[in-house]
Amino acid sequence: MMNAGATPKTNHLLGLRETDVSRITDILDTAREMKNIINRDIKKLPTLRGRAIVTLFFEPSTRTRTSFELAGKYLGADVVNITAAASSVVKGESLRDTLLTVEAMGVDAIVMRHSAEGAAHFASQLVKPVIINAGDGAHEHPTQGLLDLFTIRERKQNLSGLKVAILGDILHSRVARSNIWGLQKFGAEVHVAGPTTLMPVDIEKMGVIVHHRVEDAITDADVINVLRIQKERQEKGLFPTAREYARIFGVNAKRLALAKPDAMIMHPGPMNRGLEISHDVAYSNQSSIQEQVQNGVAIRMATLFLTLTGGKTLETIN
Amino acid sequence: MKLLIKGGHVVDPANGIDQIADIVIDGQKIIGVDLGLSDQTISGGAEIFDATGLVVCPGLIDMHVHLREPGLEAKEEIRTGSEAAAAGGFTAVACMPNTKPIVDNSIMVSGILERARREAAVHIHVIGALTKEQAGKELAEIGDMVQNGAVALSDDGHFVEDARVFQTGLSYASMFDIPVISHAEEESLAGEGCMHEGLVSTILGVKGRPAVAEEIAVARDILLAEYAKARLHIAHVSAAGAVELIRQAKRRGVKVTAEATPHHLSLTDEAVYGFNTATKVNPPLRSADHVRSLIDGLKDGTIDAIACDHAPHAPEEKDVEYRIAANGFTGLETSLGVILTALYHSKELTLNQIVQLMSVSPAAILGVTGGSLAPGATADITVFDPDKEWIVDSKHFYSKGKSTPFDGKTLKGKAVATVVAGQFVMKNGEVL
Repeated sequence: MMNAGATPKTNHLLGLRETDVSRITDILDTAREMKNIINRDIKKLPTLRGRAIVTLFFEPSTRTRTSFELAGKYLGADVVNITAAASSVVKGESLRDTLLTVEAMGVDAIVMRHSAEGAAHFASQLVKPVIINAGDGAHEHPTQGLLDLFTIRERKQNLSGLKVAILGDILHSRVARSNIWGLQKFGAEVHVAGPTTLMPVDIEKMGVIVHHRVEDAITDADVINVLRIQKERQEKGLFPTAREYARIFGVNAKRLALAKPDAMIMHPGPMNRGLEISHDVAYSNQSSIQEQVQNGVAIRMATLFLTLTGGKTLETIN
Repeated sequence: MKLLIKGGHVVDPANGIDQIADIVIDGQKIIGVDLGLSDQTISGGAEIFDATGLVVCPGLIDMHVHLREPGLEAKEEIRTGSEAAAAGGFTAVACMPNTKPIVDNSIMVSGILERARREAAVHIHVIGALTKEQAGKELAEIGDMVQNGAVALSDDGHFVEDARVFQTGLSYASMFDIPVISHAEEESLAGEGCMHEGLVSTILGVKGRPAVAEEIAVARDILLAEYAKARLHIAHVSAAGAVELIRQAKRRGVKVTAEATPHHLSLTDEAVYGFNTATKVNPPLRSADHVRSLIDGLKDGTIDAIACDHAPHAPEEKDVEYRIAANGFTGLETSLGVILTALYHSKELTLNQIVQLMSVSPAAILGVTGGSLAPGATADITVFDPDKEWIVDSKHFYSKGKSTPFDGKTLKGKAVATVVAGQFVMKNGEVL
C-alpha cells in the first residue's frame, strides 16, 4: 500500500493525538503556575507583551473563547476576537482568505474554532502564526482535553490506573476524542458508554472499552465525564426522545452510587440538566464542573505561553 | 509515412504476444508485428523508434474520465484533458456526461465529438446520461445519443435511486447493446459522509460513507440487470462486499462488468490523516481489507478494467476545509505509474494482465476499436518504461487539475510515447 498525507510537526496545538506526553506534561505543569496568577488580585503579567492573538470563532462559544481571551490578557498579550457572524465570512469570504487576511495583520497566534474537522490543520499549513485548535468539528478540542487532564490530576494526583467513564454522544464529540488520547497517554483506562447510534464505528480500536449500559461504565469509576447531548442531533433521529435518553443514559444519584465513593463528575458544558445529568449530581460535592472552568483559563494561559515563547521566559512569570 | 517501433517488449494479450518484437505502421494502420523487422525490409524506409528496454502495447483506454467541457472549462477542457491522457499513455478516453449542461441529448454528444475531432490529442468517446439532466426521473434520448456516437450511458456522480427508472433504462439500453454504467452508492446511507467510515473516520471525527452504502446499491443494480437481461457496468468499485457480489453475479451469468481506480487500488483511508483534500474522493479511499479485495478481484477477473475517474477541479474547490472540498482529483497522468508501482512491481499483476485491464477490456466493454496490435488495426500504441522512477509534480501536469494524492510521491513506471492513429502525440514525456 502506498501512503499519502502526513501531519507535519510544528509548534501548533492541533490535537492531543499527535501531541507527545512530554509536551502535555509541560503544559499541565505550567498551568499549575498559571493558576496561581488567576487567583492574584492583580493578574496582569508582561510575559506576552507585544504579542498579538486573534480568536477566530466560526461557531458559538462562551467559555472557550472567553477563557482564551482572558488567558491572553492576563499574560499581557493583545487579544482580538473575530466571530463569524461579524466577519467577512457572511459576505462569502473563504476560510483561506480570512486566514491570510488575519495573518497579514501581523498576528502571532490564531485560536480557531470551526465546524469542519481539520480546519485547524488547514490553517496550520496555510499561514505562519501559531494555530491553536479550539475545536474543529467532531475531531478534537485539545485544550478541553488538557484542562480535563489537569482537573483530574489535581483531584486524583495521578492519572495512571484510573477508570474514567466518558458518557453520551461520543459520535459527535471532539471533547471525547481529545480526552481519550490524553487519558490513554497517561495510563488511564477509558470506558465509553452511550447509545449504539451515538457510538462511532471501530471506536474500540482506539483502545477504549465500549459499553451500551451506562451502569457498566460507571461501576467502580474514578472519573465520570458526562458529555453534552447536542439537542439538534435529535432531529436526525439518533435516539427516540430526550425523555428516553434521560431515563436510560442520564447520570443521576442512583447511578452515581455505582461509582467509587470519591468519584469525580465532569462535564465540558454547557449542561442540559435533567437530560444527560441530573441537577443534584451536577451540583454535588463530587462535581468538578466549576473547577474545570477555572482550570480552562490556566490551561489556555499555559498553552499560549508555551506555544508563543517555547517556555524560554518562564522566569518572568514568577 | 511508415513507422517502425523497434525492439520493444510487445505485450498484446488479444493476440497472445508477450515478447521482444518490432511493429510496423503504415499511415494509420498496423501492418506487421514480428521479430527482426528492420527498416531495410520496409519498402520506402520508415521512421524508427528504438523501444529497446521498453514495453509496447495496444493504446491504453480510460473508460471513466471527466473532461468538464462544455461549461466547466475552468476545471478542464477537451484539449487539456486529452493532452493529459496522451501524457499518461492513453490513446483513448471516454468522458462522463456531467458537464454543464449535462450530456443528455444527441446535440451534446455531437458537439463534444466535433470539438474533440478538432482539438483532442487522443480519441474521445462520449458517455451519455441515462436520465434527463441526470435527475433520475425520465430517460434521456438514449437511442438518438447512441446513433450519434454515445458508447455508454451513465448518471455518474449520482445513484439512480428510483429502481423502476434504472430498470427501464437498463432495458431500453439493451436494445442498443451498450452498457449502463452505475455510480452505485445508496445516498441515504452515504449522505454527508466525506470519507470511508471506519477507524480513521472515527479518529478524525469526519462523517463516514460506509461500504454497505455501495454494496447495497451494487446488489440492487445487479438484480435489476439480471431481470432486464441488460449490460451493467459498475464504476469505481471500492468495497469488498461489492467485489463479492459482482463475482457471484458473473458466476451465474449476469452481464455485469466492473472497474477499479488506481487510487482505490493503492491507497487506504489512512491517507486522510492530515486532512489533505487531495485524498477526498467519491467513493472514498477505503481500509486495507477493501483494497486487498479489489486486487483479488482484478486477479480473478471479477473486476474487468482499471479506470482513473480523472476528475480535475479548480484550485479554489480543493484549497478549502476538508468537509467542503470537491470530491475527486486528476488521474490520467499518474494512472499507469501508480498501477505499475502498486501492482506490477509488487508482483500482484503481470504486464499482460495490466494491458488487459487498461486497454483490451475497456475497448471490449465500450465496444470501441482498440486493445489489439493485430495487422490491420488502427495504430493506437502506448510505449512505456516499467522501471523509470519519477517524482509526481502536479505543477507540470497537462491537466488543468493539479490536485492529486500522489503529488510528491515517487512512482516506478512511466509512459514514454503515445501513438494515435499512426502519429506520435507524445514522445519522451512531451505532448506534441
